[in-house]
Amino acid sequence: MTETTTQAKPRKLIPISQSISVLPTDTARIYNYIHPILILSLYYLYFPSLVADPVSTLKNSIAPLAHLQIIYCIVCLPPSKGSSTQSTPSTTPKKVVQFAKPAAKPPATLASRIIPAILSLLLSLSLSAPLLTVILILFGAPLTTHFWHNLLCATHISLLGVLPLFYVHGVDGRIWREISGACLPFDEVWGGVVGVVVGAWLGAVPIPLDWDREWQKWPITIVTGAYLGWFVFRFAGEYLLRGKRIEFD
Amino acid sequence: MSQRLSILLLTIANLLIPIAILTFATGFFPYKPFIPGRASFGDSNDGGRHASAPFDKVIFMVVDALRSDFVYSNNSGFKFTQSLIRSGAAMPFTAHATSPTITMPRVKAITTGSIPSFLDVILNFAESDTTSSLANQDTWLSQLKDKPEGKLIMYGDDTWLKLFPDTFSRADGTSSFFVSDFTEVDNNVTRHVPLELKQSDWNGMIMHYLGLDHIGHKSGPRSPHMIPKQTEMDGIVKQIYEAIEIENHLQSTLLVLCGDHGMNDAGNHGGSAEGETSPALVFLSPKLQPISKGSECPLIAPQSTFGYYNTVEQSDIAPTLAGLLGFPVPLNNLGVFIPDFLDFWSQDVRIRLMHENARQILDIVRGTFPGLPSDGVASTDCTLSQSDGETLSCLWSTADSSVKGLSQGDSVTALQALTEFAKRAQDIMSSTASNYDIGRLNIGILLAALATVASLATAFTVLLNARSTGLWTSSVTILYGVMMFASSYVEEEHHFWYWASSGWLGWLFFKQRNAEETKGLSRAWSAVPLLAILRVIRIWNQTGQKHAGEPDIAKMFLPAHNFVLWALVLATYLDVIRRLSRRAVPWASRQLSLAASFALGITSLGFKVAFTKVDAPELLEGLQFFVLGPMKEASLVAQARAAFFSIAILLILTSLPVIYQRMSYGGKAGGEI
Repeated sequence: MTETTTQAKPRKLIPISQSISVLPTDTARIYNYIHPILILSLYYLYFPSLVADPVSTLKNSIAPLAHLQIIYCIVCLPPSKGSSTQSTPSTTPKKVVQFAKPAAKPPATLASRIIPAILSLLLSLSLSAPLLTVILILFGAPLTTHFWHNLLCATHISLLGVLPLFYVHGVDGRIWREISGACLPFDEVWGGVVGVVVGAWLGAVPIPLDWDREWQKWPITIVTGAYLGWFVFRFAGEYLLRGKRIEFD
Repeated sequence: MSQRLSILLLTIANLLIPIAILTFATGFFPYKPFIPGRASFGDSNDGGRHASAPFDKVIFMVVDALRSDFVYSNNSGFKFTQSLIRSGAAMPFTAHATSPTITMPRVKAITTGSIPSFLDVILNFAESDTTSSLANQDTWLSQLKDKPEGKLIMYGDDTWLKLFPDTFSRADGTSSFFVSDFTEVDNNVTRHVPLELKQSDWNGMIMHYLGLDHIGHKSGPRSPHMIPKQTEMDGIVKQIYEAIEIENHLQSTLLVLCGDHGMNDAGNHGGSAEGETSPALVFLSPKLQPISKGSECPLIAPQSTFGYYNTVEQSDIAPTLAGLLGFPVPLNNLGVFIPDFLDFWSQDVRIRLMHENARQILDIVRGTFPGLPSDGVASTDCTLSQSDGETLSCLWSTADSSVKGLSQGDSVTALQALTEFAKRAQDIMSSTASNYDIGRLNIGILLAALATVASLATAFTVLLNARSTGLWTSSVTILYGVMMFASSYVEEEHHFWYWASSGWLGWLFFKQRNAEETKGLSRAWSAVPLLAILRVIRIWNQTGQKHAGEPDIAKMFLPAHNFVLWALVLATYLDVIRRLSRRAVPWASRQLSLAASFALGITSLGFKVAFTKVDAPELLEGLQFFVLGPMKEASLVAQARAAFFSIAILLILTSLPVIYQRMSYGGKAGGEI
C-alpha cells in the first residue's frame, strides 16, 4: 500500500510503524530509568508554586523540561532516519523511509542526534503546542479567559509527549497518518503520548468537586494528570504493552 | 443465552424496577409521627401561662428569598433596619432553612416548627392540591386565631391562602406566575398596609412579598434591581415600625422580618448551598431595647459567607413566637426557644418556658422512639448512651431531675440541661436518618440490584460482542453509578456528561482514523465540529452549584443579542414544521399536510411570542414588529388553547387513520407511517 492509493472506498489502515527501543548503550539504559524520575521530581518541586501561580510556574518550567527531554532523546532514543539523513525533514513527504527498528545502532556523530533533537523541540513548540491548545479548548478548556494557562498547559503536554515522537519518527506523512489514528505499537515513546492524553483527560475529574482547594483550579489537575499519565504509561508501554496496538473494535 | 431466557430475564427486570422504586420510596418518604389536635395550657403545661407575654400582636413580614446578606451586609438597601439593629430595637439572626429551600415547605417549617421532608417538594408543585393544607394542624397561626381576640389577616403570596384555607378574615393573595413582575406583585401587598395599621381588630398580620425573589430568578442577587427593591422593603419596615411607635393599639406589636429561604449566586433556590439555606430573620420592636444592647451593623466580617450574627433554625421561630405572644407551643414543633429573648423574664419563668418547650419536644421523641422508658436513668455523661433514643432519654432525665430538684441545684444548670436536651432532640429528630425506614430502603436497593443483574445477564453477550463500545458503555454506566456517591457530582452531573462525551468523541475520531484509509477528507474529522458543538453546549447554560451565575450564552449573550435568539427560535420552529409536514396527515396531499403543519407551527410560535411579551418583555426589545396584531389582542389563555387544540387535532388526524389501517389489515401493514 503506497501513498498514491486513489481508491475511494475506505480500506483498513495497515500500520507499518514498529516499536522503537532505547539505544543499546549502558548510558542509555541507565538514563532511561533516571529520566522519568527526574521529570517527576521536577514536577514535584514545582507543584507548590504551580498551585500558587500557574502561569509563571508553567512558563518557568518549560526550559528545564525542554532540556531534560532533549537530553533524554539524545542519550536514549534512536533518531528518525528520515530526519537524521536530511536536516530539513519536511522535504521528504513522498519518500518511503526506513523506520526505526528495534535495537537500532547509535548514530555515529553527536551532531546527527543534536540537530534532530533541536528540530523536534522547535516543531513541538511551534506546531503541536498551538494545535494542542485548540484541542484543549475543544475538550472544554476556558475559551474567553485563561489563554496563557491553556497555551502553557498545551506546551507542557507537547514537550512531554510529542517532542520524543518527532525525534524518533520525524515528520514523515505516513507515520503521522498512523499517529492520527492512534495505531502505533506501544513503546516508551508512544506509551508516553497515550499517557499524556489519557492523564490530561482524567485530570479533569476532580475539578467539579466542591472541596474548593486551590489545586482544583484550571489547569493544575490537567497538567498533573498529564505528568502522572506519562510516567505510568511510558513504563507500561516499555514493558507491559510493548509492541501491542490499541484495539478500537 | 437462549432467546427465551433473555426475554424472561428482561421481563423480571422490568417488573422488579417499579417494585424496587416503590419499596424504596415508602422507606424514603415514611409516615412521620404526627400529633393531631391543638396544644393548650394544661395542668402539666403551665410554663407559658405563667410567663406574661411581652407582645399581643405580630406582624409577620416575609420577603421571599431574603438572604442574610441582603439585610446585614454593607451593600444593602435596608438602611433603616440596620439603624434599628445598631440601636437594639431589632435583634438580627440568620435562620437556617433546611433543604428543600422552596416556599411551601419553608412556610410549613416557620408556622408549625416541624421539619418538612422532600415529599413537600412534590406537594409544593401540586399547589392546587389541598391535601397539603395546614388548616387542621397545630400552627402558631391557629394558636393566635384561637385567642379570645384572635383575628388574622394576610397579604401576599397565595401559598399561605392555600395552606390555611378559611383562616384569614381579610386577605389578598398574589401569584408568582409571572416572574418578570417586580413591582405590581409587591404593590398589591403594600397598598393594604396603611389601612390595616389603622385597624385594631387583628392580632396577626402576615405579609409575603415576592418581588425580591422574582428579581433573583430573573437576574440574580447582583441585579441592579436588587438594591432599589431592598430599599422599598426597608421603607415598609420603617412605615410599620413608626406606626408601632405612634399608634396606641400597636404598642405591644412584634414585627418579624424574615426570608423564607435564600438564593444562590444565580438567584435560584431549592438546594442546600449556603446562600440558599441562610435567610435573614429580624425581630423588631421598641420593646426589645431593654433586653438587647444592639449589634454592629452592617457587619463586615460574618462567621461564614452568609452566617451573620447568631444562627438559629427556621423552626425556632414557632416556639419563640409562642413564648413572646403567650400561647402554647404548637404540638409538632421541633424548634427551640431562641435564648436571646429569655431576658424578658425572671429566672424561674425562663426555666418554666424552656421546660414546656422541652416537654413538648419530648412528646415527639416518644412518638418516634416508642420503646423508650418513660423515665430514663439520669446520668452526668449521656455520651455513653448507645442509640439516639437512649441519648435523648438520658438528657431528658438529667434535665427533668435538675428542674425538679431546683431548690437544691442552681437554676443556670437546669436551664443549660433543658437547652441541651432540646437542641439535641432537634438535631436528631431533624436529621434525615431518623426519617428513613432503613429496612425498606435496603429491600428496595436489593430489588434494584436484582433487576440490574437480570438485565446485565441479558445484555452480557451483546456487550461482549461490541468490544470497545461495550467497554465504554459499561465504564460510563459504572462511573455514573459511582458518581452518585459524590454529592458535588450530583450537583455537577452535566460536567460528567460533557467530560465523558468529549472523551467518547475523541475515541471515535481515533477509531475512524484507525479503521479507514482514504485520500481526501476522512469521516473521522466530523468529530471536530461535533466537539465544537459540545463546547458551545458547555457554555450555553451555567447550571449546577459551583459555577452558578457565571456568564453563559443563555443569560449573557442571547438577551443582549435578542435578534440571534429569535433567529434560532425561528429556525427551530421551521425545522419542526418541515419534519412535521413529512409525517403529519399521511392520507392527505403533500400540500395539505404542509399547510396543517405550518398552521400548527405558527400557532405555537405565536403563543411563545405572546407569552414572552408578558413574562420577559426585555427579550422582545427592538423586535416589536415580531409581535403581530392578533398576538397582542388575544388573551394568553386563548392562545394556549389554540396551540394545544391544534396539536390534539393534528395528532388525531395523523394517528387515527394509521391505527384504523393496522386494525383492518390485522396488524400486518404496520411500520410505515
